[in-house]
Amino acid sequence: MTVVVGWTPDARGHAALVRGAREARLHGEELLVVNATTGTAAVDDRYAGADDVADVRTLLGLLDVEAEVRQPVVRDVPDALLGIADEVGATMLVIGIRHRSPVGKFLLGSTAQRILLDARCPVLAVKAGEER
Amino acid sequence: MSGVEQTAPAGVDRAQYGLAAVLAVIGVWTVVDSAGLGPGFSDQVVQPAAFGYVIGSSLVVLAVLLAVATARGDRAEGEAGEDVDLGQGTDWRTLAGLAGVLVATIALLDWLGWAIVGALLFAGTATVLGNRHWVRNLLIGAVMSVGSWYGFYVGLGIPIPAGVLDGVL
Amino acid sequence: MTDALLTGLSLALTPENLLYAVVGVLLGTAVGVLPGIGPAMTVALLLPVTYNVEPSAALILFAGIYYGGMYGGSTTSILLNTPGESSSVITALEGNKMAKAGRAAQALATAAIGSFVAGTIGTILLVALAPTVAEWVVVLGAPSYFALMVLALVAVTTVLGSSRLRGFIALALGLTIGLVGTATGQARLTFGNPLLADGIDIVVVAVAIFAVGEALWVAAHLRRRPLEIIPVGRPWMDRADWRRSWKPWLRGTAFGFPFGALPAGGAEMPTFLSYVTERRLAGKHRDEFGKGAIEGVAGPEAANNASAAGTLVPLLAIGLPTTATAAVILAAMQGYGLQPGPQLFEAEPELVWTLLASLFVANTLLLVINLPLAPLWARLLRIPRPYLYAGILFFAVLGAYSVNFQWFDVALLALFGALGFAMRRFGLPVLPLIVGVILGPRLEEQLGQALQLSGGDVAALWSEPVAVVVYVVIAALLLGPLVLRLIPGRQGPERLADQVDELEEEVRR
Repeated sequence: MTVVVGWTPDARGHAALVRGAREARLHGEELLVVNATTGTAAVDDRYAGADDVADVRTLLGLLDVEAEVRQPVVRDVPDALLGIADEVGATMLVIGIRHRSPVGKFLLGSTAQRILLDARCPVLAVKAGEER
Repeated sequence: MSGVEQTAPAGVDRAQYGLAAVLAVIGVWTVVDSAGLGPGFSDQVVQPAAFGYVIGSSLVVLAVLLAVATARGDRAEGEAGEDVDLGQGTDWRTLAGLAGVLVATIALLDWLGWAIVGALLFAGTATVLGNRHWVRNLLIGAVMSVGSWYGFYVGLGIPIPAGVLDGVL
Repeated sequence: MTDALLTGLSLALTPENLLYAVVGVLLGTAVGVLPGIGPAMTVALLLPVTYNVEPSAALILFAGIYYGGMYGGSTTSILLNTPGESSSVITALEGNKMAKAGRAAQALATAAIGSFVAGTIGTILLVALAPTVAEWVVVLGAPSYFALMVLALVAVTTVLGSSRLRGFIALALGLTIGLVGTATGQARLTFGNPLLADGIDIVVVAVAIFAVGEALWVAAHLRRRPLEIIPVGRPWMDRADWRRSWKPWLRGTAFGFPFGALPAGGAEMPTFLSYVTERRLAGKHRDEFGKGAIEGVAGPEAANNASAAGTLVPLLAIGLPTTATAAVILAAMQGYGLQPGPQLFEAEPELVWTLLASLFVANTLLLVINLPLAPLWARLLRIPRPYLYAGILFFAVLGAYSVNFQWFDVALLALFGALGFAMRRFGLPVLPLIVGVILGPRLEEQLGQALQLSGGDVAALWSEPVAVVVYVVIAALLLGPLVLRLIPGRQGPERLADQVDELEEEVRR
């Protein structure tokens, strides 16, 4: 039984991670942290470097949660996340979101929306700054 | 250089035989074509056919050398460019998509004109290469193609054929 | 000579030409920063546009792009540990280690200032040498020209690249492409197609091989792990850094310029030599090598830029291109009906001196504009490849189409793009092909002339002393490595690429 977290090294990713860890500990489940990238840019700010990953492991160690971290290079990030959720039979998928203006929503699209609509397990969407 | 390590699989690089074959064909064709040339001016020392013979036959020789080298285990190292990670194999799907976009561009260019086809080219390429926001890509492409059309017309004084949109632009 | 230079300078500083210089420098740095895209591709993509612009303006633009590319490449190698330009591989060794140790600003500063110093000295040497060499060369006859061109072809084929066999294959292909067209009223290799009667436009070939070929190749290997970039503020150095840098700058320049000026010298060899020399001469700082020694950035970067200046000597004075970018610039000049070489100095002195003067301008602009902008350039690295290559293909097709507004040229573009892809797949080097396409027809011309004047006597080919010397050199280049391998007990000279890889292993330890 696994809680899957879609994580990025920023505020909302952190919020999702913390909440995901809490859920995992609450239900005695394992945590799977997924940080995917399409690999189509030379530098991707949403792809964690070695230091960030080390920090995450330390944090999860302190919270006493058993976790696996995956950083796959994929064709499409939401599809990959959902695919992994199916693969491990996730009990819950936790993602971080942030506020979008109407124009922003039109021009930039939404990963979160696709995940919410296509997921086969419950999805918990957490805003940055709301982790508790 | 990224210093990518290539574990050379055992066995012969058969694709290189293909390359050798193509080279040989080009070489033979060049020689044949040269043979079909009439003589040049009577006092011209280097006949028009001369270079063709030399180059064509060199190609055939090189093709043979390549085949021999391949048989002895020579493997082609794909060019490890600065931005390419060869450890991941060839993505034929994307490549085919890109080829398709190019073919479509060639086919449609005269009919629809640059302003439309340029936009399609940009959007098509961006989408094939993985960016899913095709509406946005079309918009950017349209701006670029119409912009470049006007740029050529106003800035350089050259009207690019407008195809279907002739009279509109 | 100084009057000519001053006249050139005054022309280079007109608002219009200055604008072109600024654009060139910015564009050059931008493409230098982006891995996979380089000055050669950029100049090729701009070829069609510039045909409708003043030659001097276009050349100033290209010169800016050329010098800018060197600068941009070092930014990427330092911050990202992957070279933006292949000539910046060595810079990445120490530069990235410095960045990881928190000294990115110093690394960037020494690279930038070293580039400026080397570029200025290199350009001064260029200004001094090119006219002199041109004067010598102008008295040479067709036999010597022929010999020199053969040397250029042999040199680009044998000195660099993974295997000489592949180099020669690329050369032969290039010469074949150059064959297409009409010679003395007879159509060659045109497949009976009237559209090919004028030959294949070099613009189409260059854009196809550089831009479309690269795009196809990248499309096939699109995704890779993103790299970690080290954030940096404004580049700067303290006094100790300056003291440690200035001698490597000068030594690097001394290495770079001669190698750049030799056929197929290029920049890889002098940067490697500079690094090794700095390490040997480092004295008390020796231990820092491998962990971020500033000398290891200062020397190679200076060598890099000096080599770029050096490359312009054979290009302008003799008309021989020794790097891919030089080859494309040569194609551009030919497109204007200009033939670089000694005749150019006589026929269009104003143009040449404006170009030379604007190299100084570009060099200075690079330092002034780019030093504060370094953090900004790093942001370019976040542009996703789909957009980058969509843009490249867009301009490539536009360029090919604008030659004659025929879809046929775009079809040729696609065909040669596929060739470019195949070349990358099979490890065939691009430079011999391009040089073959450009020099092939001229080669035939010179051979024809040489034999014409002697009435068909082949001995005319070695009748001039320069020609004889050149042939000896060619023989040495071709046979040298073979002979060395035959000497019992001695290994063939190691390929430069292998030596660089060894170095990388050592440093990464």
